[in-house]
Amino acid sequence: MIEFQHVFKSYGQGRSILADISFKVSAGEFVYVAGPSGAGKSTLLKLIGGLEPPSRGSIQVNGQRLENLSARARPYLRRAVGVILQDTRLLYDRSVIDNVLLPLAVTGLAADVSRARARAALEKVGLSAKESASPIELSGGEQQRLAIARAIVNRPAILIADEPTASLDRETARRIMSVFKDFNRVGVTTLIASHDDELMAEYATRAFKIEPGRFADSAQKRVPTHKNVVLNQLPERNEPSLGGGR
Amino acid sequence: MKSLLRQHRYALAVTLRRLISQPISSLTNLLVIALALSLPLLGASLLVSIEPVARKVSVTPELTIFLKTDAASTAAEQLAKRIRSEHAHQVSGVRIIPKDRALKDLRENPAWEQALKVLPNNPLPDAVVVAFTPGEDLAARADELARVWRSWPNIDLVQLDSAWVQRLEALLRFGKVGLLLLALSVILVVLATVFNTVRMQALSQREEIGVARLVGATEGFVRRPFLYLGALTCTLAALISIGVARGALMPLNDALASLARSYDAEFALALPSIPVLCLAVLSVACLGALSARWSVERNTRF
Repeated sequence: MIEFQHVFKSYGQGRSILADISFKVSAGEFVYVAGPSGAGKSTLLKLIGGLEPPSRGSIQVNGQRLENLSARARPYLRRAVGVILQDTRLLYDRSVIDNVLLPLAVTGLAADVSRARARAALEKVGLSAKESASPIELSGGEQQRLAIARAIVNRPAILIADEPTASLDRETARRIMSVFKDFNRVGVTTLIASHDDELMAEYATRAFKIEPGRFADSAQKRVPTHKNVVLNQLPERNEPSLGGGR
Repeated sequence: MKSLLRQHRYALAVTLRRLISQPISSLTNLLVIALALSLPLLGASLLVSIEPVARKVSVTPELTIFLKTDAASTAAEQLAKRIRSEHAHQVSGVRIIPKDRALKDLRENPAWEQALKVLPNNPLPDAVVVAFTPGEDLAARADELARVWRSWPNIDLVQLDSAWVQRLEALLRFGKVGLLLLALSVILVVLATVFNTVRMQALSQREEIGVARLVGATEGFVRRPFLYLGALTCTLAALISIGVARGALMPLNDALASLARSYDAEFALALPSIPVLCLAVLSVACLGALSARWSVERNTRF
């Protein structure tokens, strides 16, 4: 589903953000991407979503090699990957349902089918009652759920989210994570970047830890290179101990 | 196919929403383009109205030689013979208009009838009309012969009849070149206005464009509403400009009608034909779309 082979990412002549990252994520996995701020979590997700090209290495997403992907083909890959960025990037000049309808308009789906699917997506995230409201009227948690609805309305094979629970209270964060888990249960491969180890341990089945110059994968048993560090498998639910040190 | 049509319908809806959401700005742009377009349209109206008048009049140079009023009655016949014999290879025809026939023709014109009645005798001279054989140096040849014939006896006046037609044609040619330059200037105004409008729209829609790309929009999907914006703005502006030109022609034609009546003639300015106007509207719409495409390509690289 997702495969990184010796991927490097740096911006211009500046410092390297990601160095020699290799991993494979199978369909239906729920992966937690951990690491301190500035370690490259968001960059990793952007590489998966085709929002940024790698500087070096090979990335395969949903059967397509991104380094060979033409500019014309890139939008079609993006339709297969639902993206929720740290900044929800909602459009405040239109209603909640119109925000969810945008990805469907992009595909040229019939209006009645689009509206039905947008309503179903809003229902899934618990925002049915607010479809005519403006996003500005929604709380932080509701805005996050709206961003999720927009990301999943095209029925993507992969869902990536960058800090979706940041600045939310614990109860709202759990509600958001439950929504992700529900999609994961029906086969959507999910990758979430977060700082919240405790919360992620409740939901994720696998974890990556990115630190400057280091990449660790909880699914790995051995150290493949000096840059890849083995992490223990995530513990059972409610026992967060990513990296084995908690 | 259906999907593409739906995307076009969506783009059109987005365009109309954007136009309506900024009514003052949209209206100002429309008026600027419409007023700029109405200038060459009025110029074209003037040309298309004058051209048939020029075409109706023969441009074959003819020369009329008026004899002195006291010349002998056989003088015209002798002059015609001399021209035929001395300049046979340069003239294609010579005809005599006796003064009695000229007076009779003039009397048939109601405008002159009353004036001629009060005259004691015929004030008109005999005349000889000479038609030239066609050739490249026709104008120079006509001028040279007119100079020669002026020196012959009994000749009062030698007049090149087609001179004013040639002047009118030269004026029309000048008008056409002027209109072309005006049209080019207006094209630049239209291009610049649409380019800037689309640029401002693209900048104000930056967030929407970013989100659309995030959810898998192709560049065609992103650009399409801007192309519609350019084409629609120009189409509406062209239609308004036709209305403006039509409105401007009404008082102009009233004034022209009074002037033409004083010459016992009828003349009115008219817009170019409907097919020509349709072609013009289509061309302006294409121009708007092209300018919008150029602008959107430059201003959505983020």
